Amino acid sequence: MNLLGIWLARFRRSNLAPAPLSNSPLEAAPDSGLDDLKTRLNHWSQFWSSENESSTHSEAQQVVAERLGRWMERCFGQHVRSSLPGATSQISMASTTPILTAFLGRRATRELSRRILQDI
Amino acid sequence: MPRLVRLIWILLALHLALGMIAYVHFLLTGQYVALDLYFWALGPLFFLVMTLMEFCLAIVCRSWFDSDEPMRLAWGMIAGAALARLAGALLRAASDGHLPWGNWHLLSRPFGGLFASLSQLAMVVGGPLSMAFLAVGLGRVLGIQRKFRLVGALTPGDQALLVLVVAFSVSQLYINVPLLWKHPSLGTMLLWLSDPLLSLLLVEGILVRRTVIRMGQGLVAKCWGMFVLGIVVTSAGDAAIWASSHGLLSDSMTALSWYIWFVAAAAFASAPAYQFAAISLARRDLSPVGARR
Repeated sequence: MNLLGIWLARFRRSNLAPAPLSNSPLEAAPDSGLDDLKTRLNHWSQFWSSENESSTHSEAQQVVAERLGRWMERCFGQHVRSSLPGATSQISMASTTPILTAFLGRRATRELSRRILQDI
Repeated sequence: MPRLVRLIWILLALHLALGMIAYVHFLLTGQYVALDLYFWALGPLFFLVMTLMEFCLAIVCRSWFDSDEPMRLAWGMIAGAALARLAGALLRAASDGHLPWGNWHLLSRPFGGLFASLSQLAMVVGGPLSMAFLAVGLGRVLGIQRKFRLVGALTPGDQALLVLVVAFSVSQLYINVPLLWKHPSLGTMLLWLSDPLLSLLLVEGILVRRTVIRMGQGLVAKCWGMFVLGIVVTSAGDAAIWASSHGLLSDSMTALSWYIWFVAAAAFASAPAYQFAAISLARRDLSPVGARR
């Protein structure tokens, strides 16, 4: 039993040996790639939540909000906006996705999102 | 109006137009020949078509939700309700000898005497069993609507209606419970569940109606609105049967009240048709990228 325990401990140590740093897959990305990713994420999070601080995307956001509003009206009704969370602010993907997913299903909501965002 | 919903209501209109010809014949001659023929042949056919359509559409709607989505269970239950109604209509048609293979009426007491007749089994399957499925499905939907705070506050009129419905259920229990000492068949006892289940459906219908009013006139709102219409019309049909059995309706009014069940069948079939339209609208193939809007 003791021999087996010693052997297992050696086996684990040999398996869990850290990989050499030079082969690490988590090397720092080039600054340009990171900036690009950051820009994209910021861009999509602005569409998602409509909490826009800059005016650069306001037109596109307006289009998304209009399209969302039209789809919500077609699917649910003209008064549904008032019952969404944050009803006073502009309608957004974040506020509408849960209700659309609940009543139309995940797959239909995904396709609907693609339709709404297709040329933006 | 979505194409399928339009088809359902056109079918209903044509069916009722034929039915009205039979009814006018009855009013003019006082004979039941045309009415009998209509309710013997076209009536069951209409029920079969509507329940089959409702079942197929509900199954399609269910398949569009993933297994971990709560609406999948709701649509599964609604499909179960439609299937029970379809099975009830088929059993009824078979027991009445409407189908070519419908010689089952020769079975005097099916399933070891648990049911008084095949017709009673048909009523249990198409009535309380179907209602139980629908009640579970609508309960699930109400839970989801409540989660999104879509269920509006009840008005005094709603509250008065709820009190009336509960009072009616209690009164029916008061009438039926003493009859237990007479050892009724299982089928008879299950049929006693019709009124409490219909009351439960009405309560759910009142709550769903509030949601529909709060949402507006969208496809999903109309879907649930159609269930409410179906439940209300079923209750009206039930009330007409009660009034007729107590001699409160004339022969002509009784005959007219039979048509109400076709409206209920069309309303129940329209509900999944609206949901089908909403989902297929969202899932339609992406159009080529073009101008915005």
